[in-house]
Amino acid sequence: MDTDLVDFAVEHARSRGARYAEARFEEQANEQFIVKGGIVDALDFTESRGIGVRVLAGGSLGFTATNLLTKSDVREIVDRAVALAKGARRKKPITFAPEPAVVADWSVPEARPLADTPVEERVDEIVSIDRDLVGLKYKIPGRFFMCYSNRISKYFANSEGSKIRSYSPRVRLYYHLTLVKGGDVEQCNENYGWSGGWEALEEVRARDRVLEAARTAINALEHGKKSPEGKTDLVAGPQVSGIASHESCGHPTEADRILGREASQAGKSFITPDGGGMKIGSGVVNVVDDPTMEHAIAFYRYDDEGVKARRRYLYKRGRVSEFLQNRETAAVLGTRSNGAARATNYDREAIVRMANTFVEPKDRTPEEMIEEVKRGVYMKSFMEWNIDDKRWNGKYVGREAYLIENGEVKGPVRRTVVELTTKAFWSAVDAVGKDLELFHAGWCGKSDPGQALDAALGGPTIRLRNVYLR
Amino acid sequence: MDDFAEQIVTSALGFGAKDAVGRVVVDRNYQIRFSQNQPAIANEWRKTSGQAFLNYDGRIVSGEVSDLAQISETVGRLVKIAKGSQPNPEFVGLAKGPFRYRRLSSDPKVVKLMDGSDYVEAAIHGAIEEGAKETAGSFWRYHEEHYLYTSNGASGNDVNVGLYLSIRAHAGPESSGHGVACATRKAAFEPERAGHKAGRIAALAKDPKPGTPGAYDVVFDPLIFGSLIDQLGGRSSAYSVAAGFSPLGGKLGKKVASSAVTLYDDATADTLGRLRFDEEGVPVRRKAIVQDGVLKTYLHNTSTAKKYKTKTTANAGLVAPSAHALVLEGGDWTRDELFQDVRDGLWLTNTWYTRYQSYVTGDFSTIPRDGIFRIKDGEIAGVWKDIRITDNLLGVWKRVKGLSKKAEQVQWWGEVGVPTVAPYALVTKVNVTRSAM
Repeated sequence: MDTDLVDFAVEHARSRGARYAEARFEEQANEQFIVKGGIVDALDFTESRGIGVRVLAGGSLGFTATNLLTKSDVREIVDRAVALAKGARRKKPITFAPEPAVVADWSVPEARPLADTPVEERVDEIVSIDRDLVGLKYKIPGRFFMCYSNRISKYFANSEGSKIRSYSPRVRLYYHLTLVKGGDVEQCNENYGWSGGWEALEEVRARDRVLEAARTAINALEHGKKSPEGKTDLVAGPQVSGIASHESCGHPTEADRILGREASQAGKSFITPDGGGMKIGSGVVNVVDDPTMEHAIAFYRYDDEGVKARRRYLYKRGRVSEFLQNRETAAVLGTRSNGAARATNYDREAIVRMANTFVEPKDRTPEEMIEEVKRGVYMKSFMEWNIDDKRWNGKYVGREAYLIENGEVKGPVRRTVVELTTKAFWSAVDAVGKDLELFHAGWCGKSDPGQALDAALGGPTIRLRNVYLR
Repeated sequence: MDDFAEQIVTSALGFGAKDAVGRVVVDRNYQIRFSQNQPAIANEWRKTSGQAFLNYDGRIVSGEVSDLAQISETVGRLVKIAKGSQPNPEFVGLAKGPFRYRRLSSDPKVVKLMDGSDYVEAAIHGAIEEGAKETAGSFWRYHEEHYLYTSNGASGNDVNVGLYLSIRAHAGPESSGHGVACATRKAAFEPERAGHKAGRIAALAKDPKPGTPGAYDVVFDPLIFGSLIDQLGGRSSAYSVAAGFSPLGGKLGKKVASSAVTLYDDATADTLGRLRFDEEGVPVRRKAIVQDGVLKTYLHNTSTAKKYKTKTTANAGLVAPSAHALVLEGGDWTRDELFQDVRDGLWLTNTWYTRYQSYVTGDFSTIPRDGIFRIKDGEIAGVWKDIRITDNLLGVWKRVKGLSKKAEQVQWWGEVGVPTVAPYALVTKVNVTRSAM
């Protein structure tokens, strides 16, 4: 790892007049393969390494990056970063909220280190899951798996004395199935994520889950009825509560979005800068974002500005509680960073990002919550989803869902549409389960150039009373 | 850099690969992001990296050669990885070269541009002149050099140079508009026009009211129609069809859109997506994906073409073919005529978050953003918010009633990924839904 070059970059930036400077070296060993219809399409192995430099000079920010790791190239990009910052015609100077200098070294334990797990073993495992799918004897014309692992080594230094090393291994599995029965078709997909080694697939019980998804899809094709329309109760499983937390709690509490920095791309927020305390849900709703959940896909100890990570309460007892902050947004809002700055790689600036966002679990089991429902829908997974750019109008369309009658789970219902405002959704929640599942993962998109970043999208089961479904 | 591309191939063949492709990309892109009417950050990249693709005993592997001083070590590692993989019987080799490529000139004024501040200010000023209070967006100077060498005789280089600006203007918390400017030459770049458009739509979109669900005739602005073009063109990749990510499976030679629709993939057109060759080195060419509403071809590389018993369309992607630049042929309507045809409908200007319940059936929804206007008897009769298009992709394309003669080049974050030339479009009976309160 080129730590000397990183330290040099910071020192050189200061000598060129930067008020603040940081440099981040990243080396990512990224392995990815696709198994499509039982065939290994291609295996991609990408080792990228480089340095990104961000400076605050003349009240503006400049960021440059290179993978040419010589002193002269690094000197050149630092000079250019300072020139870009000083040349910016900004009226209101940017400042950073204060942070102590940190010297640290953190990593994620791997029960089965990725570096020691041969590629043939990984390929064989996914191919064997595909073989088991075929063994179900269903008609599955589309079977698509993408398996992805990444080993991320970083060294971060800034002009305030922080020096942080880290190693973060991650594993992802995405599948997408197309099942056919009697001229009807059902598609399902899911994305699992794990910080750690190749034990990931066992930990998330990937094989069982993929096979179960196929069984439930066929069940829906054979026995699925139209989902009931009108006001009824909804029991939403971990995947559904997870996506709702991410989309309608995590995104709207990103401070850069609230301040308009993402307005042109990822959008703004229904929450205004003075929106803390706004009533948005029922009193049982606590939604947190927590990077410190060790094996969740977006685990980290320090963010990409060197700020210590901690649990953030985004919604607490149904009210907007805390925004996700980096040092720039914290300075604007007169507070401190809560360690939410992340970048996808060395060649991207760190911006405000969610990590692992979920409804804080309570003490109910899904069975208990279902028992108390006279008529409703138990929606365990979804396919189509979206939300407007201010994060107010969300939609989640059920994939695996069942009718609930008199406290019992009945037959499958298809395409349950949950199309509710954020307030309508969270205000209807009256019970929260203890069955936290955090390995449901996604690629969270934001920024320009785009930064698709690991995010955990799971949660516990929750129950919503008397919401409009169709 | 040609030498490095060749070295990647030579090295791969030396390790026993049967086919190999070496690419080197030199990235000198520059960007200014702005928000709240001022620059937020300026970014610049200086990267040079190689990419290797090889077929070792039927096993397909690709990877980045981050350090061009270590080509042999990196390629050797890729071959070792290939040995642990499994054969892909669907890979049938690379297109046979050598090929001749057309000349492409880059505007030296774009290459030399070191400061885009004037463009950013022109766009912001344009929006504010129209009544906007707050703007955000990004300016890009693209400058990438590509060098390619294949084991089957193709070699060449390409330079992608262009200017791009995207601006979103707000006249109030829920009143916004969006504009984009795309050009390969400095003289043709019009950021202030993008600013005016964004500001004008934002100013028109004051005091929006929640919309009413139903089926409406809709005039689509080029930016939002670019999203629907992106969906149709992008899902015409043979790979998407085979993997279950497209509603176009089994529809070759069949009607997938109204007769008014002819859609090309055309990397020879003067757009930000112009190229000389695809990733196998095959010279790009214009081809109709949809002609008069009929699906004429999927997009292919050599391997997918073999599977579908046809020839490559010069759209490699070594693993998955993809569109380069999409051009929807204009129709015979004027923009005003499209509006005048609407008795009771909508004018939509932008959208985002297009997602599918089923890719193979094409059932999707997308969320219009920025100005959403009620149209009655051809005139703006109100401003809406909070609606969603919930429809079927091919259903929408089959209900295209008219397209404007004039078209605009658009590209936008997340939704219009491929540079696209889009006219205004009138589509009948578009299904609109809304969230329950």
